[in-house]
Amino acid sequence: MPRTRLMTLVEVAVMAAIGGILSIFPVIKLWPQGGSVSLVMVPVALVAFRRGWVAGVGCGLLVGLIDLMLGPFILHPVQVLLDYPVSFAALGLAGLFRPRWEQERSARSLGRRLASGIVLAGLVRFIIHFISGVIWFGAFAPKAFSPALYSFFYNISYIFPEVLVTLVIMLLLTVKAPRLVLKP
Amino acid sequence: MSRLNHPVIGQYIPADSFLHRLDPRAKLVFVFVFMMIVFLAKNAAGYSLLVGVALSGVLLSRIPLPMILRGIKPVLYLIILTALLHLGMTRGGDVWWELGPITVYEQGVVQATVISLRFLILVLMGTLLTLTTSPMELTDGLERLLCPLTRVGVPAQDLALMMSIALRFIPTLWEEMDKIMMAQRARGADFDSGHLLRRVKSYIPVLIPLFISAFRRAEELALAMEARGYRGGKGRTRIRELRWKKEDTILLVVLAVLSISLWWLRG
Repeated sequence: MPRTRLMTLVEVAVMAAIGGILSIFPVIKLWPQGGSVSLVMVPVALVAFRRGWVAGVGCGLLVGLIDLMLGPFILHPVQVLLDYPVSFAALGLAGLFRPRWEQERSARSLGRRLASGIVLAGLVRFIIHFISGVIWFGAFAPKAFSPALYSFFYNISYIFPEVLVTLVIMLLLTVKAPRLVLKP
Repeated sequence: MSRLNHPVIGQYIPADSFLHRLDPRAKLVFVFVFMMIVFLAKNAAGYSLLVGVALSGVLLSRIPLPMILRGIKPVLYLIILTALLHLGMTRGGDVWWELGPITVYEQGVVQATVISLRFLILVLMGTLLTLTTSPMELTDGLERLLCPLTRVGVPAQDLALMMSIALRFIPTLWEEMDKIMMAQRARGADFDSGHLLRRVKSYIPVLIPLFISAFRRAEELALAMEARGYRGGKGRTRIRELRWKKEDTILLVVLAVLSISLWWLRG
């Protein structure tokens, strides 16, 4: 097994462990059913920018599965798949904006890339949680009730602040510890 | 925020029961299929069958009831909310109760009960799985179940390896984060007050040392694995072997019988 591949595997695993820890460690508590703002996206975004989007997706997948094992919130078979492995794996897509050449590493370009990557990841995650919410709530709520509306407001209420918090932390990390985010 | 003082991760409760001894593969398949066939139940007979299976699961797990209830607690709020929605919004049958603009119909009560029951059964089965199966066992089970997907390029073995490493490192890194937070508190750091941005910023002096130490551990581990000739993938021997037993086959037979009966009762 090539050196960098093994290094990447182990780094992804360790970051997934931190993701698992951060996911049960709320910075702000919002809702009783797990809708709290946590730093869970930070390690996934970090891996995605450090090692590329494939590593990021792998890390997200692991964080989702760990989260599922630690505090399962199970309502519907499709909901379990979408809410845990799929939505967290989507966070790794932030790595699509990883800077590849030296000139892309200037402060301004980097800030833009971080922002685009994290917003994209947050958006895809929101869409997946939204679909999942519509599916499971649709299976339980009365016909006259709109699951889409509920799902939209519930999910945006914590994903939006979480994306903001992740963005702030990632920007601060790149300023204060650039070698963590961008492997020299 | 309180200190992170108990690194008890997950819900797993070690014990020696029928459910604990089952193969994780069998349990995973059972719970996944069970969650889908729950939606087949349309009448009292179907539901009593499901409740019977769920209750025998509780009995066979030999886990004290309060522990099971604790696993269900976070979902109770949702169950109550949906039950109330059904009570208030479903029409049909006799009027049972009237209070101002709210009218509760017979059908509403029936719907609310049925939906809460379905909810409870689903949550109960998921909780039973994580209560009786350790995360490591779940990982081994998932790896084996995903094995056929390696042919289409899903790196099941690599994922399982990373999962085991991650699970192994959670308590270590948890302790580390706790230590760093205490050290920063000793220097006067404040994680609990101030507006949002300030609170978020206060985590930077925790995250940087945590990430640096985690990456250092990762490098050491990768070196150690390389030194011992880890090549990954095929031919890797494992410390825990899964063994499929008679009971596991029985569980799957029960699952098949249950699915067929629910399908048949549906009509």
